[in-house]
Amino acid sequence: MRSKRLLVMAICGSLLLAACSSDDSSGDGDGSPSAPAVELTVFAASSLTAAFTQIGTDFEAANAGTTVTFNFGSSGDLAASIESEGTADVFASASGTYMDEVSDKVGVTGRADFVQNKLVIITPPDNPANITSLEDLANPGVQVVLAAEGVPVGDYARQALDSAGLTDAVMANVVSNEEDDASVVAKITAGEADAAIVYVSDVTSAVAPDVHAVEIPDDVNVIVTYPIAVVTGTSHTEAAQAFVDYVTGSQGQETLAEFGFLPPPST
Amino acid sequence: MRTSPLRRTPLAISALAAIGVAFIVVPIAALLIRAPWSHLIDQLSSTGAWTALRLSLEVSLAAAALSLVLGTPVAWVLARSSIRGRSLLRAIVILPLVLPPVVGGVALLTALGRSGVVGRWLDAAGVQLTFTIWGAMVATTFVSIPLVILAAEAGLRSMDPRLEGAAAAMGASRAYVLRRVTLPLLRPQLAAGVVLAWARALGEFGATITFAGNLAGRTQTLPLAVYQTRQTDPGAAILISLLLVALSLVVLVAMRDRIFAR
Repeated sequence: MRSKRLLVMAICGSLLLAACSSDDSSGDGDGSPSAPAVELTVFAASSLTAAFTQIGTDFEAANAGTTVTFNFGSSGDLAASIESEGTADVFASASGTYMDEVSDKVGVTGRADFVQNKLVIITPPDNPANITSLEDLANPGVQVVLAAEGVPVGDYARQALDSAGLTDAVMANVVSNEEDDASVVAKITAGEADAAIVYVSDVTSAVAPDVHAVEIPDDVNVIVTYPIAVVTGTSHTEAAQAFVDYVTGSQGQETLAEFGFLPPPST
Repeated sequence: MRTSPLRRTPLAISALAAIGVAFIVVPIAALLIRAPWSHLIDQLSSTGAWTALRLSLEVSLAAAALSLVLGTPVAWVLARSSIRGRSLLRAIVILPLVLPPVVGGVALLTALGRSGVVGRWLDAAGVQLTFTIWGAMVATTFVSIPLVILAAEAGLRSMDPRLEGAAAAMGASRAYVLRRVTLPLLRPQLAAGVVLAWARALGEFGATITFAGNLAGRTQTLPLAVYQTRQTDPGAAILISLLLVALSLVVLVAMRDRIFAR
């Protein structure tokens, strides 16, 4: 008897759970503009963390009833999870390649290039290895941290080193391949490594006091263009497009410039 | 006896047990199903999985040994001494078990990093732990040592004190009692603790990548290799994951009698 009751309870429990989850998905349904609450999910490259958090707050203030939830990560990871899980309404990538990938496999609309970024060398404030140029990263004993291969900023850093003809010498000095640019910056602000290559946008006002920046000349630097788009299959097409428009519009651009990003290429 | 109605598992328990098992088996089976088996050998070699495997074994074995050597005396103090604040001390040394590993990594960095509280002295002495295999060993030991402490303390508490008393009464020295009576009696628990510590160290990710960094051939253990390979080659990441699954399974199956020793 008792075992039967337990079983009944278990079945009821699982039914309840199932009911909850199906409720959830149907509730999200179609996001007509009159619907009071829209929850927008934005997948964005981790280099956008600071700027987009600010933009999200501003956008929510300008669009009552819309809340924006961000998932920041490496663009490759984000693209992969959009392809397999399809949970994003908007995708902002640090590389055109990953946007192409999502565009091919899932589909995107309203795609626009919204900022450019370039690379910079950062060292701890006291610059223990006395780095003044890209060439100095090749000096013996310098502990260099890069983002891993496959992480856009890591690939771009390798590309810059390659165009400067420094690949072999600098790669021998690399002590760690970090999972994203935030982790790279953290290794420098903690004083654990001597130098790293990140985006200029990574040197935010919060980070700036804890690092020393050394410019990389434009002829070897990598200028990166970031695309943003609405992911096909979203149930909030209008709100998603509104967010994309906000980012590419004057207010979004102003905020992005404040966070060190360069304006998009003029077409 | 086995078929008596009392021994039959109730249907509800069987059903829930089946769900519980499926909860664990389905994800592992999915790895087996989706793995690009046809490229097994070349994928594993091209992604440096063998190097990561060797590093993982070195790091996890060192962590298990360090946990045993340092954890057992801690358990002794917790079980047998009457120092003040013993329960607080126990809570503190078990902390790494429940902390997110990345917090452990940040704490280690703050303490032992190049400009850390203790690390600056190490650095001045020319010792660097971050970005080295030693750092990976420290990070994995940090998260696995509580398992040895817990197991050894339980063993010491359940031990019959009369056995040691009898040996001492017959004139055995303290060292002799320790070596010939206490440690042999404690062996099953120590074995269980050290195997669990080893398995935990084998799967360590957060503390290692935060404290020791991620460099193939130096600090990139199997879990870190899975994480990094996933960025560029998801299929190879599945194969490396399975390597880790197989290794962990071998460890646990080989030691099953030790872990569940009565």
